[in-house]
Parts: sequence; C-alpha cells; structure tokens
Amino acid sequence: MTAHLPETKRKYDLTFARWVSRNVHGGDKLNMCMQCGVCSGSCPLGEQMDYGPRRLFMMIRAGMKDEVMKSDTIWNCVACYRSEVRCPRGVPVTHILDSLSVVAVREGYAEAKNAETTRFAKAFWWSAKKFGLTDERLVTALYYFSGGIGEGIRKGMANQKIALRMIGKKRMHVGMPRKIKRRGELKKILAKAVEIENRNDAAAGEEVKS
Amino acid sequence: MTDQNGIGVYLCSGCAIGQSIDVDALSGIAASEFKVPICKTHECLCGDEAVAMIAEDVASGGVEKPVIAACSPRVMTDRFQFDGAQVIRANMREQVVWCHPPGDEDTQMLANDQLRMAITRATKSNAPEPWKEGEFSDKILVVGGGYVGLSAALEASRAGTDVLLVERSDQLGGNVRRWSKVLPDSPPYGTPRDNPVPGLIAAVEGDARISVMTDAIVAQTSGQPGQFKVEITNGGSTSEEMVGAIVLATGWRPYDPNKLGHLGYGASPDVVTNVELEEMLAAGKVAKKNVAFIQCAGSRDPDHLPYCSSVCCGVSIKHALQLIEADPDVMAYVIFQELRTPGVAEDLYRAAQDAGVIFMKGDVKSVGADLTVVVDDALLGEEVPLQGLDMVVLATGMVPNSTNIDLPTRELGEDEEMPPLLRSDIDTTAPITVAGYMGEEPAAVEKREETMPEGGPLLNLKYHQGPHLPMLADGFPDSHFICFPYESRRTGIYPCGPLRRPMDMGEAGLDAAGAVLKAIQTIRLVRDGASVHPRSGDLSYPKIGLEPCTKCRRCTIECPFGAIDETDKDYPVVNPARCRRCGTCMGACPVRTISFDNYSIDMLTSMAKSCEIPDEFDEKPRVLILACENDAYPALDMAGLSRRNYSAFVRIIPVNCLGSVSALNVSDALSVGYDGIILMGCKSGDNYQCHFVKGSAMAQERAANIEETLASMMLEKERVEAMEVEISDAERVGQLIDDFVATIDEIGFNPFKGF
Repeated sequence: MTAHLPETKRKYDLTFARWVSRNVHGGDKLNMCMQCGVCSGSCPLGEQMDYGPRRLFMMIRAGMKDEVMKSDTIWNCVACYRSEVRCPRGVPVTHILDSLSVVAVREGYAEAKNAETTRFAKAFWWSAKKFGLTDERLVTALYYFSGGIGEGIRKGMANQKIALRMIGKKRMHVGMPRKIKRRGELKKILAKAVEIENRNDAAAGEEVKS
Repeated sequence: MTDQNGIGVYLCSGCAIGQSIDVDALSGIAASEFKVPICKTHECLCGDEAVAMIAEDVASGGVEKPVIAACSPRVMTDRFQFDGAQVIRANMREQVVWCHPPGDEDTQMLANDQLRMAITRATKSNAPEPWKEGEFSDKILVVGGGYVGLSAALEASRAGTDVLLVERSDQLGGNVRRWSKVLPDSPPYGTPRDNPVPGLIAAVEGDARISVMTDAIVAQTSGQPGQFKVEITNGGSTSEEMVGAIVLATGWRPYDPNKLGHLGYGASPDVVTNVELEEMLAAGKVAKKNVAFIQCAGSRDPDHLPYCSSVCCGVSIKHALQLIEADPDVMAYVIFQELRTPGVAEDLYRAAQDAGVIFMKGDVKSVGADLTVVVDDALLGEEVPLQGLDMVVLATGMVPNSTNIDLPTRELGEDEEMPPLLRSDIDTTAPITVAGYMGEEPAAVEKREETMPEGGPLLNLKYHQGPHLPMLADGFPDSHFICFPYESRRTGIYPCGPLRRPMDMGEAGLDAAGAVLKAIQTIRLVRDGASVHPRSGDLSYPKIGLEPCTKCRRCTIECPFGAIDETDKDYPVVNPARCRRCGTCMGACPVRTISFDNYSIDMLTSMAKSCEIPDEFDEKPRVLILACENDAYPALDMAGLSRRNYSAFVRIIPVNCLGSVSALNVSDALSVGYDGIILMGCKSGDNYQCHFVKGSAMAQERAANIEETLASMMLEKERVEAMEVEISDAERVGQLIDDFVATIDEIGFNPFKGF
C-alpha cells in the first residue's frame, strides 16, 4: 500500500495533518475543528482516554504523529456518536477515530496491535468469517488467550461464574460450534466487499489490503 | 401666596386608583389648600372623552398648566400633550397604588402629598421661552476624508444637507486608500471584498452638495451648535465658515510597532505589522511561504493598549486568505489569545479554517532573529517552537486620532493644572485592568500619570473648558459608547467610526450614517431653541442672575458639556445651544442664582415643603427621595409595575439629573423636618450610565460635603445617602428604601421636626 504515514520534522509541520485530511475517513473535516471541546466534554469514556478528541485533533494539527498513533483514545471510543452529533462544526469525530485506529494497526504500531480492542476484534472477525456467526465461547477464549497463556487462565477464572450462569440460562452455547448454511456465499460476499473497497480506494488514489 | 391661575387639576380614578385611595379627598385638597379654579375627576383620564375635556379647558384659555394625577409621567405622554400647555403629572399609579396597600392611611397620605407636590410644581413652573438668537447654519462640517468621512459626507448629502469635508492630507481616502482588499460587509462574508474607497472618492467629488478641502486643518472652533464658527487653515490661508454641526471622522492610526521590540519588531525586516503587510499586498505579490500572525500585538496588554481593537483577528484571517489565494502552498499560522470574530467575521474564520489556516491558542514567549516563534500553546499544554517561518506579522491595534498628532502637544504651564473635565471621569488611582480574559488575566499595572494628550487639539475649541474634546477611558472622545453612540461631551460634535471605538468598515459605514443623523437632529432642534438628547425638545435653558453671582466658577467648571464660558469680567455666560438641560450648573451654584423657566432649586424645595410632615408623636417618619428621571425614577416605576411593596413614608421628586440637586435642597428639607434624604441616581465611575456623564458622581461628592453641614446641625450623617440604581433594579430599589427607612427608625426622628 502507498498510504504510509509521512515523516514529520517539527511541531506544526502540516504534512501529517494534510495526510490525515486526505487519507482518513472524515479527515477533510478536521480543518473545521475550532477546539471548543464539546466532543471531549460529551465523551462518556473521556476519563479512560489518554487525550480527549479535542486534544487529539490539535495534536494532529501539531504534527504529533507518534503520540496520536500510540494513544488509546482511538481504541477506547465506543462509537456512541455523542460528540459527532454535538460538534458545532460538523466534524465526524467517531468516523475519524475509527479510521485512525485502522491506520494505526496497518502502520504496525505495537500499541495498536496489542490494544484490547484490536485483540477482541480479531477474535470476533475470525469467528464471523469462519462460522458466519459469533461463538461466544470461542471468541471469548481466543480473546482471553491473545495476551498469553497466563493472562488467558487468569481472565477465564475471573469470569468463570458469569460463564456458568450464561450456560445455565442458555446464553452461551456448549458443544460443537454452530455455523450458518452456505458459508461459500458469505465468502463471496466478503470477497466482493474487499473488491469494492479496493476499487473505491483506487479511484481515490489509494490501495488497501484485505 | 402662590399663583394658582391657569392650574387645572385632573384626577383619574381608573387603573384601581379609585378603589385604593380616596380620590374625593384629593379633590378636596386641591380645592381647599390650593384653591385651584378647576378640579375634575374622571374614571378613565386617558380615554378620548377625558382627553377632549382637558383639551377644551386648555383651548378655552382657562387652563395653562393641567396637573394630571394619574399614571407615571413616563407613560401616556402622547395622550396628555396639549398645545400651549405645560403638563404636570402626579404619579398616582406606579408610585402610589401599585406599591402600597389599598385603603391604608399611609397610602392616602402619600397620594395627598403627590398631589400637593404636583400642584406646587405647577405654581413654580413658567412657560419656557426658547432661545433662538442670531443666524443658524444647516451645513455639516465633516472632519477627516477617510472611509468614514466620505461615507458621512455622502449620507448627509443624500439627506439634503450641505457638507464641508476637511482632510488634513493632500488626498482623500485615509488609511484604506492604499489597500487592495477589505473585510467583507456584504455577502459572501467568507471572501475579502474589493476596496470601496476609490468609488466613494469619485462619488464625493461628483456631489454638488459636498465641498472638499484637502491639506486643510481646523484651526479654531467657536460658537455653539447651529452657529459654529470654524476657521480652516488651508495652505497658509485661513478662511472662516459657519456650520451647524460637526461630524468627526478623523479615524485611527496603527499602534507604534517600535514599542513592540519584545515581539521581534525591528530585529528582522521580515517582522512586519498588519498595516505594512496590507501595503505589501496592495503593491504586489508577497513571496513568503510560511507566515505566522501574532494577534493582540500590543493590544489587551496593560503596558500598551489595554483594549481589544476588535478588527485585528478578522484582518489577520483576511491576510491569510489573501496569501493562500495567491499561492495555495502558503502555510499560515494565526497565534491568538482569544479569536474574536464579531458578527459576520465568523464566516471569514470558517473560510480560513477550510482553506487550511492553522489557529494556535497561546501566548508568544519570544520571537527570534531567525523568526523562530516560541508559543506557550494552551491547546497542547506545552511550549512549542515554530520554526522555518519566513515572515511574522504583528496584528497591531487601533489608536484613535482624537488629537492631531501633526501638531505639537500643548505643554502645561508652571502653575497650570490639567484642564478640568478633560479626563477627570477616569479614576486615575485605580490600576489598569484588562477585561474579557478567559484564562489568566495579565497583572494590572499602575496608571500612568495624567498628561495632556499627545498632539494638538482636533478642533481647537474656544470653550472655557479647553480646546480638546473630553475623552473616555483609553483616549476615545465618546460620551458613552453603549447608551449614546456618536455623542461626545460637546453638543453638536459627533465622533464616529474608529475614532469613537475600534470597529471594522462595515460598522464604521453605519456609524457615519448615525452620526450624520444626530448632526441633522441637532441642527433642527437648536433652530427651535430645543434641547438635544436626552431631554430632547426641552425649550427651557439655564438663566443666570448675575447680581448675586460670586464668580465662584463652579458652574463653568462642573458643566459636563462645556456649555458655560466666562466673560472678560469672569462672569459665567451660557451658550444655550450647547446645553443639554441637566441642571448641573443649577445644583452647583452656591447662591441659587441659576434656574430654568420650569425648573429651579426653589421649585424642588417648595415641592418638598408642600408635603405634610407629621410630628414625631404620629410615629410616621418622612424620607425625601430626589430621584434622577433617567434611571432611578423609572426603576421606582418598575418596582410599582412588579407590585414591589416598599415603605409608604417616602416622598419622591423626579429631577432632571442628580447633578441638579443642590446641597441647599438637602439642608432645606432637613430643616422642615424630613428624617432622611436619599439622592438616587445612576451608576457612576468608569462604566457610568449617567445620561449627563457626571450627575451621580457630583451627587456623591456633594453628599460627602453635606456630612459637614449635618455635623454642624448636630444631625447623624446616615440621614443623607447617595444611592446608585440601574433601570432594571425594580426589586433592589424597594429593598434599598426599606433598609434606609429601617436605619432612620433606629437613629430616631429629626429633632428639627415641628420647628
């Protein structure tokens, strides 16, 4: 892919900001941010983040590439869309944070790879692609053990009670994983989706790996 | 025995007045105590039938002074207006029945006294003879040929008035003449628009009503509105012109950037001011790629200009847009403290964001010779060095041209003091503070000692109070920039545009029209001998009886508008057309020799004395309130309107301005047995709301002096208090009165009662 991040030499070097504006979904609206802070004030998870969205956008403007990519702000967004709805300048906050997380993974930032959200997303996507639906037990297990055997056992033990109660209430499936019918069709749909995205990005001058 | 001839009393029993008080008793007072020939009662005095009845009495010649005992004098003014009659109002509704319990003995006593005061006022009031001596001119003099002056000249011409436009330089157009683009004042608001000044110059030069003098300055101004004599020096020769009013549009000059060494000015040729950049842009391409704009350069800084010039943010945004339009690769950084984009300038701000201009909030720590700007970035929370810049633009503020800086500053002589009232409204002991900071405010610095303003006077007024225009804080020669735009403290002289406060061209154009309308109003009113705003249409004017005059000069010094000059023999002489009828001279005069036909010290004292003062065994104290008719009296009306009950022991007399209240009024009232006196006026100080600039401040000064008088009369100083209220203080004014009456209750009755 060609859309690698640019080098930034000094503060307020605009190359990074311009790159974000061209390559991140909704990034072209970032210019309009007037730093009012309504987004950060509205965020229900603001306290769980390194920086609020306002600060993150100013850091993009200031060319602080690594700090932005390593921050957990992009991972802790729960996509409630509150900031996006309230933004007086129409900045699509949620879309930008989501897109930035994709870029961070693609660019191989360790923080991004090891983010809990990434690990959970991987497990989720594995199950969805393989079975056509999510298997709570396997997704959970895969996610728990993605951080190593020790962490897997610890997390599993901690949530044992919940798991047993879920099984009792028939909320968690036991036995062979369930699958959808005609999984070949799903594969075709996903392949088509990748094809469409590539075509769109090619039209925009970029290329994306599946 | 007073003269009751021509008085007719008309009592209204509508609006619950009839149910709350005994109107027949009032009628009895008018007949028995005052022997007025006509006294009529009606249940709806403002109705057609009753108005026709009064009009008939006036027309038949029987009634010259109808006394209307009904609602507040502030309402129904158009209903109770009768040709050739002086209408006197007694406020029975707002200040009696609406704020005191119905059927109460004290309410009735108050109503009785309201009527007594009104009838007394009528007996002491004569029909004013307006002053209209000599020739009047309709011409308007516009000083300054920049954007505002040109706009003003054209507006006046459109209104059918002849204009003389005087410009000190050899060309019309002022500061803006050399610029390429200006801030937009019409859609699209996101795009700088072309300079309108060349078009205006052509229009002015082609206008038959406007005569233009360039290279000319006003050497001297004497006379008064309608009759200003103006000497104009033009290339060595002096000519004299007669004008009716003067519009001042001398504009602004940029703040001296040589004082901005801390922002790198002078260290590098690439550090320029916004005005210099404006000229560079007009001259051709500015080949710079990385440009930083430093906002508030010398503005909102107590060491330089403490105020915000309001346009610099918009101007820097405009410059950034112009640079990016010429070369899309330009990186423009705007370093601001608070980005102020009033009105439609917000659209310009959005356009600049969209074009990729970077806005950084923070303080500039240093500007290096290599153009590295270190910013304490408030949004990132760290110090950021901005490197690789090739131009730094300092957004400097506007300094009003309230003097002619081409002329030498007038030095004060050895024994000479600062001319009175030139700047004396500003509290020189209070440190300078900067308003409107969201974050940490700069530390206040001590005010510099008062000096004569730099440069020579603009109009060189032949006024006793000196040749300069009096200035508000920060050197703007405005009277009150919120309540009375365009008014200076010299009647008939109207500053407009950036001379009176910093503003952009859109606002300045409207300002020019506003000032011209004020000037035309003045010209028309003074022809009829009438006062201008705020006592618009008042035909009386102060008359000075010279026999008792002791030449104490208090009237000439204290007049807020410089209306009183002195003769060769040091006697005061009033210029009636300059006067705004506040009566400050009347209140100042220690020998009561200044009065108006329909307003005098004797009238106020007689009104106070006409009230019935119960003796101390009745346990009914009496408090006299002398209330300014502009803010305090309306506030009392508002208290009635909101049915705020307050003590019924007060007797309220409206006064033109608290400045017109003499210390003698206070001592007279105390000697007839009033237990306390409230001088109720408007807000004074730097942000004063007094319609006559100094009324409240004068009253406070006089109240302080009265303390000595009280001590000599062996009275407590708490008996006299000066209060400041705002027009919206309906609730507070009631509380103030109740608290004061409680204090009087504590200290006991006036021992002079009954003497």
